[in-house]
Amino acid sequence: MTATAERAPAPPKLSPLGWLRKRLFQNVGSAVLSVTLIVILLYVVYRSLVFVVINGQWEAISRNLTLFMVGTFPRDQVWRLAAQALMLGLAFGIGVGTASGTARDKAKQAGLAYEPPLLAGTLKRFWSLIAFVLVLLTLAGTAGPWLVVGGAVLVGYIGWHSWRLPPSMRTLGWLLTALLFLAGFQVVSGTEGLAWLPVALVLAAASRLLVPVERLETPLRQLVSLGAPLVAAGVVYGIYQVIAAPGVGWDDWSGMILTLWWSAIVIVLAFPTGLMLALARRSTLPALRYLATTYIELIRGVPLITLLFMGQFMLGFMLPAGTVFSSITRSIAAGTLFTAAYVAEIVRGGLQSLPPGQMEAGQALGMGIPAIMRRIVLPQALRAVIPAMVGQFISLFKDSSLLFIIGATEFLGVRDLVHAQADFRVSAHAETLVFVAVGYWAIAFSMSRESQRLERRLGVGET
Amino acid sequence: MTSESTIFADATQAKGETIIECIDVDKFFGDFQALKDINLKVGRQEVIVVIGPSGSGKSTLIRCINRLEKHDRGTIIVDGIELSDDVRNIQEIRRETGMVFQQFNLFPHLTVIDNVTLAPRQVRRLPKKQADELAMEMLERVKIPEQAHKFPGQLSGGQQQRVAIARSLAMRPKVMLFDEPTSALDPEMIKEVLDVMVELATGGMTMIVVTHEMGFARAVADRVLFMADGEVVEVGTPLHFFENPQEDRTKLFLSQIL
Amino acid sequence: MVTTTTSKTHSRPPFWRDLRVLRVVGQFVAIILVGLVLWWLFTNLVDNLNRAGIRTDFGFLTQPTQFTVPYFNTFNARNPVWQMVLVGVKNTFLAGSVGIIIASVLGLVVGILRLSNNWLAARLATVFVEFFRNIPPLVVIVFFGSAVFTFGPLPILSEALELRLPGSSDTFLLLSNDRWGIPGFTSRGNVPAYLGILVVGLVISVLLWIWRTRVNLSTGEPHHRVLWSLGALLAFAGLGYLVLGGPFGVEWPSLSENRRLIVSGFAMNWGFMALTGALGLYTASHIAEIVRGSIQAVPKGQTEASSALALSAFQRYRFVVLPQALRIAVPPVINQYLNLVKNTSLGLAVAYAELTALTQTSIANGRPAVQSIVVMMAIYLAFSLTISLALNVVNRRLQLVTR
Repeated sequence: MTATAERAPAPPKLSPLGWLRKRLFQNVGSAVLSVTLIVILLYVVYRSLVFVVINGQWEAISRNLTLFMVGTFPRDQVWRLAAQALMLGLAFGIGVGTASGTARDKAKQAGLAYEPPLLAGTLKRFWSLIAFVLVLLTLAGTAGPWLVVGGAVLVGYIGWHSWRLPPSMRTLGWLLTALLFLAGFQVVSGTEGLAWLPVALVLAAASRLLVPVERLETPLRQLVSLGAPLVAAGVVYGIYQVIAAPGVGWDDWSGMILTLWWSAIVIVLAFPTGLMLALARRSTLPALRYLATTYIELIRGVPLITLLFMGQFMLGFMLPAGTVFSSITRSIAAGTLFTAAYVAEIVRGGLQSLPPGQMEAGQALGMGIPAIMRRIVLPQALRAVIPAMVGQFISLFKDSSLLFIIGATEFLGVRDLVHAQADFRVSAHAETLVFVAVGYWAIAFSMSRESQRLERRLGVGET
Repeated sequence: MTSESTIFADATQAKGETIIECIDVDKFFGDFQALKDINLKVGRQEVIVVIGPSGSGKSTLIRCINRLEKHDRGTIIVDGIELSDDVRNIQEIRRETGMVFQQFNLFPHLTVIDNVTLAPRQVRRLPKKQADELAMEMLERVKIPEQAHKFPGQLSGGQQQRVAIARSLAMRPKVMLFDEPTSALDPEMIKEVLDVMVELATGGMTMIVVTHEMGFARAVADRVLFMADGEVVEVGTPLHFFENPQEDRTKLFLSQIL
Repeated sequence: MVTTTTSKTHSRPPFWRDLRVLRVVGQFVAIILVGLVLWWLFTNLVDNLNRAGIRTDFGFLTQPTQFTVPYFNTFNARNPVWQMVLVGVKNTFLAGSVGIIIASVLGLVVGILRLSNNWLAARLATVFVEFFRNIPPLVVIVFFGSAVFTFGPLPILSEALELRLPGSSDTFLLLSNDRWGIPGFTSRGNVPAYLGILVVGLVISVLLWIWRTRVNLSTGEPHHRVLWSLGALLAFAGLGYLVLGGPFGVEWPSLSENRRLIVSGFAMNWGFMALTGALGLYTASHIAEIVRGSIQAVPKGQTEASSALALSAFQRYRFVVLPQALRIAVPPVINQYLNLVKNTSLGLAVAYAELTALTQTSIANGRPAVQSIVVMMAIYLAFSLTISLALNVVNRRLQLVTR
């Protein structure tokens, strides 16, 4: 990193005319190409400007903005969404802060300097997302959205300062992120039914990690390491039975929030499933390998929509008579089954990229397979596949548009609601489509940029 | 012909109490027989150097001893434990043997000291404080205590291999197996690793070393085994090999590397 | 002195620690568990279906469809369901093939443009790729269907736009917002004879190829074998055409008397065009990325070595860069083809009668859902497995030989 080598002399800077000649008109073929492209480009830009500024009927968007964002969510419960935005903002801030803090710790341990990312750089990276949000806020007209977004950004910034916490509190940071994420979900969906389960799982796992079992003697140690998670789960269950507050279940979610949450829930559920499938696929036991491979190849051979249909029409029949699943639940199940196969292939790639010597070194040291997996193989393999996993999430985010075909009203599907209104029955079709396309694009583009950046950084190596 | 060349000329004789015993060991990879009827006894504190051309089965042999490869016929006994399909036996044997690989195989996502303390904490259940102290002791033995908090990627090849040695030593094994430990190193770093290995040998560790470094063999080996085509062709003291190799294959090989 | 050792265990270890036993038992347990779950699901399915009075066999395939397929005049409501399935398969195959062709050509061009020295071309290609990669294919399909066709600028069929070549009275393109007419081929007799001439021409072109290759091997002269073979083939095609007095004719598209149908030429419905156009563009953006990545993945040293050997740019690409880039590109490109075929299932959104759309309509018309879905998934699986098989074969042939 430090420049001890001599710098080569910089190439002479080109004048504007020189640049044109070199880059656009190098030879005859290039010149013809440039001229054609410039003509086409000018025409397209002209027509687009006319469309956007002059002819466009953007009232279709501005009057239906809430519809696009939250669909048919009961309007008197919108405060829940505001609360969710704040909690998610905080969760995100703490998460990023903890990750940043962990990177800082490692650098300090290794005696390296840590260069924190600059704010300007971060803003530049997410420009499409920021631009889209600003456009939405401007179209909204009222102060409410501004306050919510501003509030979320503020608490996110506060949460980001968690990087200043001492290294011993990193696990606590992740725990808070997970809990706030779940809280954000449940402030909308309510705390009835199975809501206690994910929280109980998170706290049970946390209790295993946080309680210092190493200091205890053997019989007590085993008791505590088994008992602590059970106690945590039990406590959570009890609390939830007491505060059984109803909310707006995900069947009533539509619009952009359905799109985002559907993708998030599916990827969270598909990840452990895919991980187990990948391990089975690489197992030395032929039966496991065969079963996993069959499943993966079957799922990857069919379009997602057929699985969604399967969820709609077949799933109800496959379970004992009387079990009722909502349409969204079924689509989540189908989506999870689908994504798990792709996650399995991604994780398998990561496992394969690990030198076999790592496993052998662990074995030679006398470590058992679970310990080798937990401490050596999975940390390395999973870190290597993070960019591919983000890519899969982007894919899932785009595929959520298929829910429209099974009757759920997600971001794309809101258009049907808009064009059912008398004013927009035959007009503004292109405008709403452009809006939807831009919305998807802004989010997917930012995520894909981040994934590319992660790929570059992780590929550089440990430091 | 001095009598020295016939002392310990038998692979089935061990100096002192036997700690590793291989009886009629065969190993196949498909149709290819990698080990043919290997009979070997290694005694406590003995240093055995195994030499031979590539494909001779020397790496396969030591990898069979800690079950990284499974032998197809014959018996292998390590410190009184028979190497079988019994999971418990395998784990016990692996706790008592340490292996140093040609490619180091350090864990890149852990610091040096975490690399060394991982197994003692996970397998021997040492508390962190004691594990750290043990690790620093081992790192001092291999002469790089100051690198404890670096990551493997920041170290040179010679330093990484010494960390690998420290990592194995931290489990306090009874036998150390070395699979061509210096073959992947640049020449200027070979010496630092060999010095550590010499110190280990003179300190009384039982070692089986697969290597081409004849200087090492001459300095500390009690016996040298020459393997070719899956069998033990000739056994003797290092001096025997340099002065009076008997078999034609041995002479051919030595003429190529000496 | 020899010390013998006594080993701790001479006999087989207890079965709960024996690796071999554990492996076998573990597999049995896994198979039994999976089997049990599947059996439970299946029996539930059959029970519930029976209880609801829905049939559980595949007999529905021989029943009449009870609906018509739009734009498909020869299919009526009395045709059995399995014929409907065939129509679906044919349409999926058609959309898939045309989509693959469009995506490949466009993707290749855009991918190479991205690496062009022309700044504008490179930038525009990047914009194209980054735009289409990040929006859902369904949005592109709906956009084509809706903004280009249904609610788009083109007139309705009875007032279709008729494009004529200057100075002729034949329409060569009929444009409307739900159907397009393009010129088609009709046979005017002597077709078998023409095909025979083509076959002869093909044989001769192959012989020419072999001969030119041999000339090149023995004398070192450039073989120009593509020019020779293709030239011969075209010559035969052209001469044969003239000699036989034009066995093929071009049929210009035209509207029927009541201006409600396209009766001559080749008619394409808007669903087909929207689907293939959209998927072509969408998949092209992915293929362009792959093409670019694979060319860039060829190590720079290869280019340097070729230049050092005085190979021209064309030779460098033909003999060194492209063969290596191809090896890298083939698996992901075939994967994209697979995705395209699977994405044809979105034809529902533009009322294109491909397999998924027809299945859904059939279910809506009362056919048993479970069996219909099973049939549909089986067919898609067949498509996918065929393409994957092709991928494996191609991959194996392209493998670099290593130690």
